[in-house]
Amino acid sequence: MSTFSFISPTTWRCAPCNGELQPEKVNVSYMGSIFTVELMVCPSCGFVLIPEDLALGKMHAVEQLLEDK
Amino acid sequence: MEQQLLRTLEATCIQEELPFCTAACPLHVDVRGFMACLAKGDERGARRVLDRTMPFADIVGRICDEPCRQACKRSEVGDPLAVAALERHCVTSTAAVLKLTKLPDREGKVVFFGSGLASMTAALDLARKGRSATILTTEREIGGSLRRLGEERLPLAVLDAAVEQLGSYGVNIIFDCQMDAEFIEYTLNFYDAVFMDRDWSAIDDFCLDCRHPNPLSLAVARPGCFTGGGTGPNGYSVIRQVEEGRRAALSIERYLQKVSLTAGREREGACATRLFTDITSIEPLSVIAPADPAAGYTVEEAAREAARCLQCQCLECVKQCAFLQAFKEYPKTLVRKIYNNQAVVQGTRTANTMINSCSLCGQCTLICPHQFPMAEVCVTTRQSMVLDATMPPSAHEFALQDMAFSLGSEAAMLRHQPGKSSSRFLFYPGCQLAGSAPDLVEKTYLHLTRHLHDGVGLMLGCCGIPAHWSGRQELFAATMEEFCTAIQENGNPLIITACSSCYVTFKEFAPQLQIRSLWQILEEIGLPAGKRAPLSQPMTIHDPCGVRKEPEIRASVRNIAGQLGMNVAEQPFSGELTDCCGFGGLMQFANGPLGEQAAERKARRSSLDSLAYCAMCRDNLAASGHRVAHLLDYCFPGEGLADPLLRPNPGFSGRHENRARLKAQLLASLWQETSALPLEHKRIALDIAPQVRELMEKRLILEEDLQKVLLHAELSGRFLEDPHTGHRLANHRPVRVTYWAEYEVRDSGYRVYNAYSHRMILPERKTA
Repeated sequence: MSTFSFISPTTWRCAPCNGELQPEKVNVSYMGSIFTVELMVCPSCGFVLIPEDLALGKMHAVEQLLEDK
Repeated sequence: MEQQLLRTLEATCIQEELPFCTAACPLHVDVRGFMACLAKGDERGARRVLDRTMPFADIVGRICDEPCRQACKRSEVGDPLAVAALERHCVTSTAAVLKLTKLPDREGKVVFFGSGLASMTAALDLARKGRSATILTTEREIGGSLRRLGEERLPLAVLDAAVEQLGSYGVNIIFDCQMDAEFIEYTLNFYDAVFMDRDWSAIDDFCLDCRHPNPLSLAVARPGCFTGGGTGPNGYSVIRQVEEGRRAALSIERYLQKVSLTAGREREGACATRLFTDITSIEPLSVIAPADPAAGYTVEEAAREAARCLQCQCLECVKQCAFLQAFKEYPKTLVRKIYNNQAVVQGTRTANTMINSCSLCGQCTLICPHQFPMAEVCVTTRQSMVLDATMPPSAHEFALQDMAFSLGSEAAMLRHQPGKSSSRFLFYPGCQLAGSAPDLVEKTYLHLTRHLHDGVGLMLGCCGIPAHWSGRQELFAATMEEFCTAIQENGNPLIITACSSCYVTFKEFAPQLQIRSLWQILEEIGLPAGKRAPLSQPMTIHDPCGVRKEPEIRASVRNIAGQLGMNVAEQPFSGELTDCCGFGGLMQFANGPLGEQAAERKARRSSLDSLAYCAMCRDNLAASGHRVAHLLDYCFPGEGLADPLLRPNPGFSGRHENRARLKAQLLASLWQETSALPLEHKRIALDIAPQVRELMEKRLILEEDLQKVLLHAELSGRFLEDPHTGHRLANHRPVRVTYWAEYEVRDSGYRVYNAYSHRMILPERKTA
């Protein structure tokens, strides 16, 4: 399965690690389905950034789709 | 849903019933569609409608005896449509648009004696089906009686064109036949079926049988023989020739296919229709006659006359319902979509949101001429979705958590009146009044304790109706059972409900309980004495959908408003026809934008200030920006000058807060009990701008959810930070939803700039 990418430069930095977020492939899941997506992540602690537009846009659409499956 | 139930439900909705004109027409010409085309000047479109159903539109369109006109609904509000004159206009000013297809040739040879319009029709219909058709006539031309109508009514050139048309479908016409009994008998040996056109006057000399055909099939005693057409008791009717020709052709086709000649033919020919069309607000209009009667209609005159057509349909429910309008459905199409949705095994169930969007308010059922049970269909569908685990989790989760909160330790309580050890009465304000106006709950309770004797207990909680609306039968049954047990353990007091939804829920699902509406009680015991601001401005009452079938409660409310000196002006969609505010059926949770539309629609029924007596109606109408007060606001006016019409919608967080505070405050002030310490996250002080609050409301995010995010972030030290703005961004997933908060740490607490959520689960963080 191809990896969807939602990476874009961000001014958010990981506070405890004091580092920049970097593109990384991570697994997200809902209703038993797992997707590999590329997101902005803190490379040391793994904090994943989900920006507002992604949460309310594409991610919400996929959630709805899975709920209707 | 079983298929049989689907069929019954589909048949209950009459929107797809034939319009009155089409039902009265033996050919079922789509007169309504014809008029719609003409009205917009689409002459070719109108002609296409005729070509589709009329076997010889150039003939029938000129001289039809228009039985439809008698049935025209317009005749109840003005003159019936001039259908025949418009058809004549159409066929004389346009050429045929549609040539109907012909199936490949098949076996089965049919002979037609006589060449009247009935034979012509039957021969054309059967030739189109690929049967070999031969017309035998003693005359030199076809048409029979049609030839004697006169050139003005029917030019003979039109009949010549019909010969060509028949030829183009392969119909063989043999003129100048010398016919006698022997010839007929001999001919019959070569054909599989025969049609005797009674327009041929000599027919009775050869076929005694032909006088008594079966009315449904037009079959006579001899197998394979059919008859029709000719002059009937009311003279020569053009449409009767076509009708019987067509009926006989269908019978012959059935005969050749060796199937029943009569089964399932009830709706052939002129038939009854169950369509309902409301004409109460239709202006009467007289017929538009052509300026030059001899020349007939001009295109413009025809358009004006056709525009008088009412375009009969029902849609009574759709006209009033925000839900049906939003989904562009009427009950028949809706129930089919529900059926198909449930039949999906693998794939997307596209109707889930629709099923969860109905407010279950019952307005449509009351409006429907056949009481279509929309709420019942939707709620039982939701129940089966829950049972087979296809209910989308996000649809009702927020509302069910809200219900759990109202029933939980922070908000729920049950006590006898202070100083009493039993209760003859029990005040049950309901979760929404407690959430919307906790001060009114307290004032009402104190008033009740002063005027009712032998103890008035108080119970804060939730009747459980959200569980029922969301299809959670088990949860609803458990909630109801717990409630009933509590009531029983407290000596079965008479329950006084302030919320009409609680009232009807208990009445329907716990009929053994004694319940009365607060409004009936207040009407009896009277209102508190005291000064009230004079109310001069007229207001309209917005009844909640819960009291649709409770006229006594509605009357009590009006009496109380009268006692308060209120000037109430009724609007047409109150009482049993009242709209839902968007809360019913959990509409606003499953479909936020539709919930807002429903509230807006209810509010706009009147331009006056609104008086509600359901807390949810009040809050939703207030949220849509309308001036609305609760009846209790006027029964128990506040000390200050605050206008109850301007009281804002508390929102979901505000309602939680209000319920919790109400319990703590009443326990402290009336029962001298101290509540448990607030939960840890409740100590997080948030500063939320109004526009962020509005976002949270739409996104179903509670203040408490953000308090948990912040507590979690600040305790763990895990959050993102933007060095330019100094804002922090953190998330937390208490149960199934991940909440995000963008905030800033201030001396006084936390300033919140944004909040959003998702349900997708993120990976666990890496461990150091």
